[in-house]
Amino acid sequence: MELFLQTLANALIQSGTYALASAGLALAVGVLHIVNFAHGEFLMVGAFVAYWLSVLAGIDPIASLVPAGAVMFAASGAIYHASIRRVLLAPELNALLLTFGIGITLQNLAILVFGATPRVVHTAYQLTVVTLGPVSVGVAPLVTLVVSVTLLAGMYAVLYRTGVGKSIRAVAQNRTGAHLVGLDVDRIYLLTFGIASALAAIAGSMVLVRIGASPHMGFGFVLKAFAIIVMAGLGNLTGVLWASLVLATAEAFVRTYVPGGGGAAEAVFFLLIFFTLVWRSWRTA
Amino acid sequence: MRTLAVAFVVVALLAMAGTEGMAQREQVRIGISLPLTGPASASGKAAEAGYRLALDEINKAGGVLGRRLQIFIEDDGNLPAKAVPIFTKFVTVDRVHAITGIFGSAVGVSIVGPAKLHEPLIAMLGAASPLVERGFEGYKYLFHYHPWAYHNMEAVFSFMEFVRTGTGASTIAMLYEDGPFGSAGIGDTRAELIKRGFDVPFMESFKSGSGDFTALLSRAKRHPVDVLFWIGFDADALPIAVQSREVGFKPRLIFGTPASWPVGYEGNPVARDVAGMAGWTSASPLPASKEFVKKYQAKYGGLTEEYMAPMGFVTLTTLAAAMNKAGTTDRDRVAAELARTDADTPLGKLRFKPSRLSPSVYQGFDSDLWMVFQFREGRRVPVWPKSMAAGPLAWRWR
Repeated sequence: MELFLQTLANALIQSGTYALASAGLALAVGVLHIVNFAHGEFLMVGAFVAYWLSVLAGIDPIASLVPAGAVMFAASGAIYHASIRRVLLAPELNALLLTFGIGITLQNLAILVFGATPRVVHTAYQLTVVTLGPVSVGVAPLVTLVVSVTLLAGMYAVLYRTGVGKSIRAVAQNRTGAHLVGLDVDRIYLLTFGIASALAAIAGSMVLVRIGASPHMGFGFVLKAFAIIVMAGLGNLTGVLWASLVLATAEAFVRTYVPGGGGAAEAVFFLLIFFTLVWRSWRTA
Repeated sequence: MRTLAVAFVVVALLAMAGTEGMAQREQVRIGISLPLTGPASASGKAAEAGYRLALDEINKAGGVLGRRLQIFIEDDGNLPAKAVPIFTKFVTVDRVHAITGIFGSAVGVSIVGPAKLHEPLIAMLGAASPLVERGFEGYKYLFHYHPWAYHNMEAVFSFMEFVRTGTGASTIAMLYEDGPFGSAGIGDTRAELIKRGFDVPFMESFKSGSGDFTALLSRAKRHPVDVLFWIGFDADALPIAVQSREVGFKPRLIFGTPASWPVGYEGNPVARDVAGMAGWTSASPLPASKEFVKKYQAKYGGLTEEYMAPMGFVTLTTLAAAMNKAGTTDRDRVAAELARTDADTPLGKLRFKPSRLSPSVYQGFDSDLWMVFQFREGRRVPVWPKSMAAGPLAWRWR
C-alpha cells in the first residue's frame, strides 16, 4: 500500500512538470497551427537563463522564472519575425521542418557556447522533503506543480475572461474571419508565440533544480508534450492538465509494477498517442 | 619578356610548393580523432587539452627524430559515420605515421575495417568495449591504453569487497542505463556480485536523461540496501541523488560510474559523500600526476578532473618516446619500442602486455587504473585503493 501511495504521489508531482512543459506547445499548436519542434529547446534556453542567474547573481531558479520567461518571450519575437510568420500559410511540413531546424540550431549553439556537460545548481530547498504519512515528496517538484496549476489557471482566465484572450480564440477558430472583423492577426500570432515560448522557458527554470541544464534536455520533454497535446486535443488547455496526469501516472505505474519497466516507461507516451488516435478515429467512424 | 616573367613566377611557386610539401613530408605526423562536439565532447576536449600539452612538451624537448611533431586533430563527434572518413583521410591524404584518439567503442568498432586495410600504427586512447578488442584480433599494430570494460568491472568488484570488509555492507541495489554503456554485461555483473557473496535484491534499467527516478527509487526503498550502484551518464547524477532524498530512499552509499559528472556537482550539498570512479583526479598523490597538474595549470590556467586529459598526454608522450627510441617512423620498429614501454605516468605505471581476448593487441592500463573518490567539500577525495586514498570512506550517505 505504501508503494502504491508513493507511486500516486510521484505521478501527481511529475504531472505538474509535464503540464508546464506542454502548456506552451498546446497554445502554439492550437492557435498558430504549427507544430513547434523547437519547443524543447525553448525550455532548454529557460533552464540556462535560470542557471546563469543562479551562478552569477545568486538568484533562485524559482525566482528566475520571470526573467527566463521574459528572455524567451523577447527571443521568440525575433524568431517569429525572422522565420515563423513566413510559413504560417505554407504547407504544415514547412513549419515542421523550420521549427526542427530552429531546435537543432539552438541545441548546437548551446553546445558551442556552454559545452555538452550538464550543469547543476544548488538551492536551499533541494534537500527539503515534505512527508505525509508513508508518502514523501520533494519541495521543488511540489512548487513546480503549484506554479503549473497557477499558470494554467491564469492562462485559462486570460483566454476566456479578457479581450486579448477572446481575440486569440477568434484567430484560432478562423484566421480569415478574425482578419475580416478587424483583428490584427499577425500581432496576435506574435503574442501567442511569445506566450507559448515563455511558458516553455518557465518550465525550464523549474526543472533546473531537479535535473540540471543541458543542451540535450529539450528533446525528451517535447516528445512528452506532443503526447499530452494529442491526448488533450489540439488547443485544449484544460485538457493538458488531465492528460499530463494520465501520462505521468501511466509512466509511474509502469516503472513501479512492470518488470523491466524502468526503460520501458519511456515508450508509454508512444502507446498513449497510438491509442488516443485509434480511439478518436474509431469514435468518429 | 612578359611570358618569361610569368613562367618564372610559376616555376618559383611550384618549387616552393614542392619544398613545403617535402618539409611537411619530413615532419613526423600523427592523426588524432576525438569527439570535440556532441554528448562526448567533454571527454574529447579534455583529451585534446592533454594532447596539446604533450605536443608542447615534445617539441620543447626537440620534437620527434629531431623534427617538430605535427598533429592533425579532427572532430569525429563520437560517430562512426564521421570517424571512418577521418581515419581514411589520416592514412591516405595526411599520410600520418600513427593514429591516436578514438574515444568511443562504437567508433573503435567502425575503424576495424579501414585499419585492417591500411594497417597503420594505432595508439587508442579510449574504447572500453571488448567488441573492439575482438574486432582487432590478429592486428599487430594496436596499442590500447584504456582499460577494457571487464577491467572496469574488476575494479568495481574490488571496491565493493573493500566496502564490505570495512563496513559489513552486503546488499546492493543496481540501476543501469538501458543503452550499450549501461546494459552490456549487466547480467554477468550481477551474477559475479552474487558469486562474491553480495545480495542484489533490486536491479532495474532506466532511460538516461529521462530525469524521473522517483518510481524506481521508491521500489528500491522496499529493500534494506547498503549501496546504490548506478551506471549511467552525467545527466543522471543529480536526479538520482536528489530524488533518492525526495522519496526517502536512504542507502548508506551511492556509487555511480558515469564517464563524467555535471558541472557544479562537486559544490552541491546533495553530492556529499556520493562516490564515483575515476581513472585519475587532480588530487592523486603520484609524483608524475603532480607534475602533470603543474604543467596543465601553467598552460591552461586551471585544473581539470577529466581523466582523459592525462590519458591524452600519456598516449602522445609515450608514442613520441617510442619513435625517438626506434630512431625511425617505421611502424614495426616503433611498435617494438612502444611494446617495451615501462613508464611512470600521471595515471600510474604503464606497461603493455598481450590483451586478454586478443593477444596480438597490446593492452596498457587495466583495473589498477581505477580509483574511487567521494565528493567532499567541493572536491573529489580518493578513498580507494589504499595506495591512492587521501581520506577514509565516508559511510551512511543521507
